[in-house]
Amino acid sequence: MRLERVQSAFAAALGDPRRTQDIVAALDCGDGRAAERIALYRGNVAAAWEKALANAYPVVRALVGDEFFAALARAYGKAHPSRSGDLNRFGDGLPAFVRTFEHTNSLPYLGDVAALEWAVHTAHYAADAAPLARDALAALPADALLAARFAVHPACAWIDSAFPVATIWLAHRPDSGQALPGSIDQPERALVTRPRWRIEVLVSGAGEIAALDRLRSGADMECAIGAALAAEPQFNFARALVRWLDHSILIA
Amino acid sequence: MVLDSSMPGIAPRTPDRAAAVPSGIGIGLRTAHYRELLARERCVDWLEAHSENYFGPGGYDLDVLTRLRARYPLSLHGVGLGLGSASGFAREHLDRVAELVRRVEPGLVSEHLCWGAADGQVFNDLLPMPLTGAALDLICSRVAQMQDVLQRRVLIENVSTYVRFAGDDYDEAGFLNALATRSGCGILLDVNNLYVNQCNHGADAAAQIDAIDPRHVGEIHLAGHFATELAVIDHHGARVADAVWVLYERAIARIGRVPTLIEWDTDVPALEVLLDEAARARRRFDSAAVRDAA
Repeated sequence: MRLERVQSAFAAALGDPRRTQDIVAALDCGDGRAAERIALYRGNVAAAWEKALANAYPVVRALVGDEFFAALARAYGKAHPSRSGDLNRFGDGLPAFVRTFEHTNSLPYLGDVAALEWAVHTAHYAADAAPLARDALAALPADALLAARFAVHPACAWIDSAFPVATIWLAHRPDSGQALPGSIDQPERALVTRPRWRIEVLVSGAGEIAALDRLRSGADMECAIGAALAAEPQFNFARALVRWLDHSILIA
Repeated sequence: MVLDSSMPGIAPRTPDRAAAVPSGIGIGLRTAHYRELLARERCVDWLEAHSENYFGPGGYDLDVLTRLRARYPLSLHGVGLGLGSASGFAREHLDRVAELVRRVEPGLVSEHLCWGAADGQVFNDLLPMPLTGAALDLICSRVAQMQDVLQRRVLIENVSTYVRFAGDDYDEAGFLNALATRSGCGILLDVNNLYVNQCNHGADAAAQIDAIDPRHVGEIHLAGHFATELAVIDHHGARVADAVWVLYERAIARIGRVPTLIEWDTDVPALEVLLDEAARARRRFDSAAVRDAA
């Protein structure tokens, strides 16, 4: 059998225990237990995928329980086989998957929690950047500040959700002191930041998200403030600016 | 007094990053040990990191690796390239290895004799190769490509397997020797994997060690395994077994004192446990009656 066909037969057997016949015929296992040995590989692949998902989605796992999460991981792996030798990429499709997975229908917030966790996971490996220094900003005259085009830290991301996703995430962080939300009918915007190395999730607002959206697309500060006020008339720019500096959201 | 490197007896102190090639006994770098390794004095000869864990453009892991790289000679060990995949070999993955190699300038770079992708899917496991002439041709061309992109020699490691193929043209040692001779790569000899394969297929591990061309071996791996009723599993989650220590002694006596790594990837214990395993390796390493490798 040509190498490509051998690997194709092996792959088929990894995906489906009923399709081991072709690969078993190509093997030489003296004990006659080749199919069981192929099953060891099938188990390894499933375990590696589940571990990668558990690493990226600890809150989803805590919400659904370990046993259900293992089943979710298997279903996801079947629907979205890995496309990369880098397991840190496996799982990018989980938020969309749980939104359509029939067994998670009763947890409508799960997709947005997963999206937030993927943003956190991505932030962990995002590029480093020097935060904008307070002094540099303080030295700017008002008109220069309005004309400035500050970049948003590459690790920053935001999720606009109909559910209290930031609060749910924070409630699962050890020692956060955050209680689970009393009701899930509470829209929330979550802002992911990474001052130096530790990930933070902040509860954000429509104005702040609109401003950061504009800044990330290269707009100047005046335009960002305009967008923020349009989205949220009570937007307080001075307070937002202090927060952006405190959490290293703007970079030099 | 100004110390001048031209003075007798004083070695030049210019940092030469490229020269930091691992030698002696190293341990695998695991997240659980980051803080302790950063906080304490140098406690082992060198470190080996899994390349894929550091593929991101930034963040904490890469920062730790960079800081430890300033203190320890480093080896980058790839687990995801799938050199033997007949279809679906990802050039992009190799480019990411190359980017990491440029960033941290490791002393050694290695990958596995295995495949990992077929029919548009990646299995994220070290899957077994048929040891045929066709497989050798493919692996040789991929290793040549890897060495061309990285602009350096790489080491290729023998893997443990639960199955073997009918109609193999080579045993593992024969395949590795031919690969090294043809591609110019080195061999990363995993002694535990030889032992696991002996248990799983009856391939005599000592005979494999005796058959490996010592001139090609650039590194040795040691790890723990566990036995099930069906097969021995190479899980890297236990101390090195006594039978594997015996094989290691045989390997260094024959091959020489090549850099040796203690791997522990599952249920990672306290750093002290790894250092204790490293000390056990060192006692054998230092007292080896090395045969003249020439």
